[in-house]
Amino acid sequence: MRQPYDLSRRGFLISGTAAATLGALQAPVLAQEKVFRLGALNSITGIGGPYGPYMLEAIKIAVNEVNEAGGAAGRKFQLFAEDDQTKPEAAVLAVKKLVEINKVEAVVGIWPSSVGLATMPITNDANVITMNTCGAPEMLTENKKGLAWMFQASNAIFGNAFAEVARQRGFKRPAVMAFNNSTFVGQANYFKNAWESGGGKVEAFVIYEPNQSSYRTELARVLATKPDVISLSAYRPDATIILKEWFQTGQDCKFIMPGWTANEDLVKALGKEATEGLISISNVAADKHEAYKRFAAAFRKVAKREPDIFAAQSYDMVITLALALEAAGPQADVAGVNGKIRSVTGVGGTRVNGFAEGRDLLRKGEKVDYEGASSRLDFGKHGETVPDFGVSDIRDGKLVLKETIPGKLPA
Amino acid sequence: MDLISIANAVINGVVIGMLLALPALAITLVFGIARFPNAATGDYMTLGAYTTMASQLVLGGSIVAAVLAAMTATAAISLLMYFWVFRALSERSHVSRLIASIGVAFAVRSTITFFAGQDQYVIDVPLVRAWNFGGLRILPTDLYIVGAALTALFVVFFIMYLTPTGRRMRAIADSAELAAASGIRARRVMIFLWTIAGAFCGLGGALLGIKAVVLPELGWELLMPMFAGVILGGIGSPVGAVLGIVTFSIAQEVASLYVGPAYKIVLAFFILLVVLLLRPQGMLGRPIAAR
Repeated sequence: MRQPYDLSRRGFLISGTAAATLGALQAPVLAQEKVFRLGALNSITGIGGPYGPYMLEAIKIAVNEVNEAGGAAGRKFQLFAEDDQTKPEAAVLAVKKLVEINKVEAVVGIWPSSVGLATMPITNDANVITMNTCGAPEMLTENKKGLAWMFQASNAIFGNAFAEVARQRGFKRPAVMAFNNSTFVGQANYFKNAWESGGGKVEAFVIYEPNQSSYRTELARVLATKPDVISLSAYRPDATIILKEWFQTGQDCKFIMPGWTANEDLVKALGKEATEGLISISNVAADKHEAYKRFAAAFRKVAKREPDIFAAQSYDMVITLALALEAAGPQADVAGVNGKIRSVTGVGGTRVNGFAEGRDLLRKGEKVDYEGASSRLDFGKHGETVPDFGVSDIRDGKLVLKETIPGKLPA
Repeated sequence: MDLISIANAVINGVVIGMLLALPALAITLVFGIARFPNAATGDYMTLGAYTTMASQLVLGGSIVAAVLAAMTATAAISLLMYFWVFRALSERSHVSRLIASIGVAFAVRSTITFFAGQDQYVIDVPLVRAWNFGGLRILPTDLYIVGAALTALFVVFFIMYLTPTGRRMRAIADSAELAAASGIRARRVMIFLWTIAGAFCGLGGALLGIKAVVLPELGWELLMPMFAGVILGGIGSPVGAVLGIVTFSIAQEVASLYVGPAYKIVLAFFILLVVLLLRPQGMLGRPIAAR
């Protein structure tokens, strides 16, 4: 049999020498300026496609902000970006590449819990900090080394908030529909638990498979129980199809949905009529914070749209990391940087809205409290944020904030 | 489960099945004549959905014009890929063509996302309520979809079984050497084949885009069920492909009434398994003896 390509000893020597020369050339550059090697693992393709690319943009904006200010503790951020395809298998390969080949010290921008849970053993073993937007309750128990930071509220908290809103609004017959992944199944389960512990009954509980072209049969199963409200834990693509199909049935019913799905983008996809009266629950956007205003302005320039909550969280990840690095000093190792994350975001310090401002205070030896673009960022004991929730209704195609309820961990 | 729910699930299965019958037919024709499973079929559908959306933006309003434009564009790309990739590989083993088709799939999808990005799009069709016949729900949009699919299927079966071109296609499918020996020009048949395959995938994708949302993975995700449907019906049998994919879709929808929706694909594959155990050649396939 003919060899498909020439794998001779000479060829090996030539390529080997070339590779070694390249390596030797790179080394002095690194030695001159100590950089902080930052990995971005985003869901660029797959179901995360509507969110991941913007998260990467947000990370780049933050990295530029830090580098233009001269870096943190004298170290500039060097970014290595990978796509996890919103799939844990692809994510494991990508994170291995980031950790073993790029030698990153932190991985930011992890979006789905499936990826967060799959990559955490690897990053934990390699002592790498991870910052994510994962909401699966298991993230908290798996965070054994304290290296993972959850910038999005856990779905235990979300599920509880959904149930509380349903009760406050006087609904009697709720049903649950959820996308089959660890995030949304968690949300659905906590909704059910919270509702039933308050003495009610959930009429229908349907977990559906993603990536379908129609969810009519699943929807029919839920609607057959005549619910007055459906807790719909969905992403935008599947929510678009489900709500379209629900509207077509003509059956009267309300929906409670997470804010990253029920927003103006969904209105754009479905029209005003089909989205009228949707109840949207999200972390209270920190749109009053200076950090958000500045980030949003920079984001609009690149992306030509308003940032969503995940983009804001991704921006906060890098800024938080940079402030922790500054606080830990130029000689600090990963554990040292990790140890400072709580202190630069926790209560008690001077409130700051951006990297340069925080760095200047830290250099004077003062304590700072970074007020993020996504939330006020106070981390709980498992590395989770517990933000307040905003309850909005979609009225005539616009989100109208109705009330704010304090986020609390389930008992 | 009451009868109404089952009937609704069956209706839904028929609609999805008819829609997927178009690309499934393309798969089976390409398999029969060009002799390889074309993994780019799914992404040709995606292309159809995106070009529908794009031509609606450019041409404005009319959905029919947009769908026709999408069919033309997809057929053109399909022909281009034939001349550029598959023709050169026609003497190679079917495995190399299969691998090349996976490459074509990635190339098509990446080109789409390069221009359109990863975010979802919707094809602008007015939302209408379903007609309700005592619980039996029928969507006007679904009727149009089934109508369009049936018309397209009718046209291709008419060509296949009642015209000289169709006869030549079937002759090549039976035996390429014998067909060549009796003076049939393979080139013309190939051009016709790839045009039809492209147009059908384009139409299927456009209809799917109207029904669901337009995403970069729209077609690729459906490749498995489509291949399964083709195998169920009998590989290489055009009528079988249509019957197979409709059966497969109905099985999935009805199954989700009984088992959790998470398992509906499992049950559909179970039906595939049972059919293949009883009839290894598929529902309408011919048994192939080893020569």
